[in-house]
Amino acid sequence: MKPGVIISILAIVLGGLLLIGAGRKEETAGPPDYIEWRIPAGWPKPANDIFARNKLSEQGFQLGRKLFYDGRLSKDGNFPCASCHQQFGAFSSYDHDLSHGYNNTFTTRNAPPLFNLAWMPRLHWDGGVNHIEVQPLSPITAPNEMGENLDSVLLKLRRDTSYLRMFRAAFGTPEINSQRMLKALAQFTGSIVSANSKYDKVMRGEATFTYSEQNGYTFFKANCASCHPEPLFTDYSFRNIGLPVNEFLNDYGRMRITGDKKDSLKFKVPSLRNVALTFPYMHDGRFQSLNAVLDHYNSGIITTQPTLDTLLHKRIPIAGRQKNDLIYFLHTLSDTSMTKNPRFSGELKNFIH
Amino acid sequence: MRCRAYILLLLLTAAGSFANGQSAEPGLVKISFVNTVTGKPILLDSTVFTNPFSETYTITRFKYYISNLALTFPEGVFKELDSYHLVDQSNAQSLSFGFTALAGTYDGLVFLLGVDSLRNVSGAQSGALDPLNDMFWTWNTGYIMAKMEGRSPQSKLVNRKVEYHIGGFAGVNSVLKNIKLTFPVPVNVSAGKTTEIIIETDFAAWWQQPNELKISEHPVCSSPGELAKKIADNYSKMFRVRQIINP
Repeated sequence: MKPGVIISILAIVLGGLLLIGAGRKEETAGPPDYIEWRIPAGWPKPANDIFARNKLSEQGFQLGRKLFYDGRLSKDGNFPCASCHQQFGAFSSYDHDLSHGYNNTFTTRNAPPLFNLAWMPRLHWDGGVNHIEVQPLSPITAPNEMGENLDSVLLKLRRDTSYLRMFRAAFGTPEINSQRMLKALAQFTGSIVSANSKYDKVMRGEATFTYSEQNGYTFFKANCASCHPEPLFTDYSFRNIGLPVNEFLNDYGRMRITGDKKDSLKFKVPSLRNVALTFPYMHDGRFQSLNAVLDHYNSGIITTQPTLDTLLHKRIPIAGRQKNDLIYFLHTLSDTSMTKNPRFSGELKNFIH
Repeated sequence: MRCRAYILLLLLTAAGSFANGQSAEPGLVKISFVNTVTGKPILLDSTVFTNPFSETYTITRFKYYISNLALTFPEGVFKELDSYHLVDQSNAQSLSFGFTALAGTYDGLVFLLGVDSLRNVSGAQSGALDPLNDMFWTWNTGYIMAKMEGRSPQSKLVNRKVEYHIGGFAGVNSVLKNIKLTFPVPVNVSAGKTTEIIIETDFAAWWQQPNELKISEHPVCSSPGELAKKIADNYSKMFRVRQIINP
């Protein structure tokens, strides 16, 4: 290389460093690296355009990821978002009916998995939360979850220079406020998409179902798909599936939000994607296995509840062999490319209570 | 559609401004709130008040949202931009705010008591709408439009609490109230000068007309619904214009 070229390169590098230095001094950063967010082929458009007023960027996503795994969002440091939403369990609480909260408490509902949230019109089992950005306020401030208050979280974040740097990179200035924190979290959680299970590969012609899986899929389409339609495997409606009321929790679901008796005992239809990883099942985690869930649909539904979904008045009869095949099919909805994606992981690997 | 409506409004404002002889030079409008109970100033935690049912109470917190404020004149309105204010009796600074308005003569004031439904469904907000202000429900998304907390010997609740958190922005139980106040004298906004509009609230409005609500029967309301709607129907009448200070 000619000396002239080397000098030119050095000049460019030095100039660049000087520019970066100048930027730091002024406390403003250039625009972040915006990311194009793609809808999987053949999927419907999301119900809400969650990134319309919260433009997705690499820096915003990485800030959201750090916040998601940071215990400082909880009162005693032990309960990051990720403590109840574990990646290996498709971001649900693996093997816990109810989750653990601050100061030896339990939550009152089963922590739902987090993926494909961009398509979810309302969050929480009862649909009480209407926007992905404001959802974290609920667990952060609940005394039996993260047990913290918002002022205190922001104070802790402001004391950490790495956060000042990351907020600046994501939003232009180092100001740390609740809106920015919530938008960053939404960039992370909203980015988690599960669309690459064996089922998806079969649909794309990249794999084939086994004989049992195919039988299960046929049964699924005939008996389950009206509430759990493809490709999201839920219609996000609220329905009563005839579960007896748990006398400790006395949870009447959506009625608490709407105040309407017609909504008594209705809960959101969960997606069946990754369902093999999200046990125990139902809003209170009462069933330990898919087998137990299918037993409920076959013979457990209380048909006398006035708000029972009309599709379930005759229950869903399912014979032994069909049940096994359906369970084989449901296992094809597990998406390890999502549950093992390092992009969604945090420092707290395998965080289990 | 909204854009077109906005342009129409601008045209209307402009037309109105000519009709009123308003110039393009703006003036400053200061809106101040004096919170009272039947004209008596509210000293938080100390003044003992008596409601129409002879129940006594003190007020420990009193906050409400004023949004979408506009000055009216016969041919149109002048809207304050990004108009969201939280009036909080414990924070003297929050009891008044100012904005620039087209110079001219105005005959009244309209605003929404509460936060419009759009901002209740649009994710994380900032400023007056920051959830840090403790006026936001996390379990059933939406703003608390007005909040009163206090104590009363007639309350059956723990520590004799009285707690009214009034919210709900959709459907039959929406508590959003459009308030229209007519100025007792014309308000003149002049270029480069400040006009002050002092609004008095009477908390006693919360107890009756049209709905009689006793502390002994309703010491708490903390979710959207029929009771919240009844309280809002009452409190929508708590405002009056006390004084206009023209420049």
